[in-house]
Amino acid sequence: MKSRIALAVGLLTCLVAVPAAYAHHSFAAEFDGSKPTRLVGTITRVEWTNPHSYFYVDVKDATGKVTNWGCEGAGPGALSRRGWKKGDLKIGDAIVVDGYRAKDGSNLVDARRVTLPDGRTVYGGSPGDGGPGDNGTDQGALPGTSSK
Amino acid sequence: MSLHSWFIALGHSSLGHAMQTSKWDFALVEMVHLLALALLGGSVLVVDLRLLGIVLKGESARLIGRDLSRVLIGSLIVMILTGIALLSEEAGKCYFSPAFRWKMALLVAAVLFYFTLHRRALLHTDFGVPNLWSRAAAIVSLTLWLGIGIAGRAIGLL
Amino acid sequence: MPLLQHLCQLLNDSSFGTMIRESDYAYSVIESVHVLAITLVFGTIAILDLRMLGLVLRPIAVTRVARAVFPLTWSGFAISFISGFLLFWAESAKMYTNPSFRVKLILLALVGLNPLIFHTTIYRRVHEWEIQHVTPWRARAAAIASLTLWSGIIIAGRAIAYF
Repeated sequence: MKSRIALAVGLLTCLVAVPAAYAHHSFAAEFDGSKPTRLVGTITRVEWTNPHSYFYVDVKDATGKVTNWGCEGAGPGALSRRGWKKGDLKIGDAIVVDGYRAKDGSNLVDARRVTLPDGRTVYGGSPGDGGPGDNGTDQGALPGTSSK
Repeated sequence: MSLHSWFIALGHSSLGHAMQTSKWDFALVEMVHLLALALLGGSVLVVDLRLLGIVLKGESARLIGRDLSRVLIGSLIVMILTGIALLSEEAGKCYFSPAFRWKMALLVAAVLFYFTLHRRALLHTDFGVPNLWSRAAAIVSLTLWLGIGIAGRAIGLL
Repeated sequence: MPLLQHLCQLLNDSSFGTMIRESDYAYSVIESVHVLAITLVFGTIAILDLRMLGLVLRPIAVTRVARAVFPLTWSGFAISFISGFLLFWAESAKMYTNPSFRVKLILLALVGLNPLIFHTTIYRRVHEWEIQHVTPWRARAAAIASLTLWSGIIIAGRAIAYF
């Protein structure tokens, strides 16, 4: 009986909950635009989620030490409009991530451009946002596009 | 100076620099933008629902419009000022963003409509019941302002 | 794991919650509805609050403004609540530990308490003061509390993304 009451109270409390209002929080809040970073590694985990997607890669440095890095991307909708699909990134895939390092120095980047195992490059940023490879045009200098 | 170079200049201004490097400054500006959005929307709703004859029937639409115009225009000014600050954080991206361009076009349309045909509808309706024109003015107004809000959301999601 | 956190994790891992969280469009639409609904919830009640503070619509009786505004505020609240619950469902694991989210919950409870007190006390005698430009201090206090609490809720809601 007590656990039922606890369950009811717990559910009620969750019901009174109020959700997030994510949308754009400034890039500059988390990431450093002056620290472009390139990661070469293998995927260990993929979170294909709103409001941001996350994928984690094991990166081996020159000494052979492996560190796990997090890469933050846009939500699934925005990614799919840029040519990504949910299954594109699989555990164990070798990828290259170009992005900007987190301000707090943690092993986190804002993923702007990812080179998939099949050589395809997908752009995580928006044209004009000044991300890696962006040339400030409405094409954003996606690979294969000639700059104006 | 071309439009594009104005956007670039805004990004490179001291305002732009402050917005691009801050965390909580940007958050604060965003929050004020949001609160002003709520007040703007609330005043638009009450005025246009009067024009549609749904609320405050029998009260003067002219009076309600004029009285709430202080809230409407005040919050609009706050939104424009905070909007410029938010824009300076990602001016380049906004310049090329179709959502941003739609938002600006709808904003110009909404403001122009508000000061012309919408004002006329409020004056003509006054204490009376709504007619075709007052209803049309209300619908156009609600649609334009809502469109601005939706386009604004789309900037961050596209 | 505390029971509440376990419940939040269950909700989070459910297929429905996962579907929203991994959606291409659903999450964005639900969130947009939730954000734009603040015009219906806060924007409209703010006008009543401003009337009670004697700042707008002075020629119109408080009760008339209230009658105009309450259906709008309640509709807005229903929309916010449903959209909000769906967003929570999708992110409940993260929300459990988010401090700004907890603050938002507390403020929501308080903003519900405010009209409860208001309606059972000073509003009972509203016909004595409904046409006044300067309303009784209890009405003005309720108006200020309402404006402050709703602003706090919106601010806390936005701040969730920063924690």
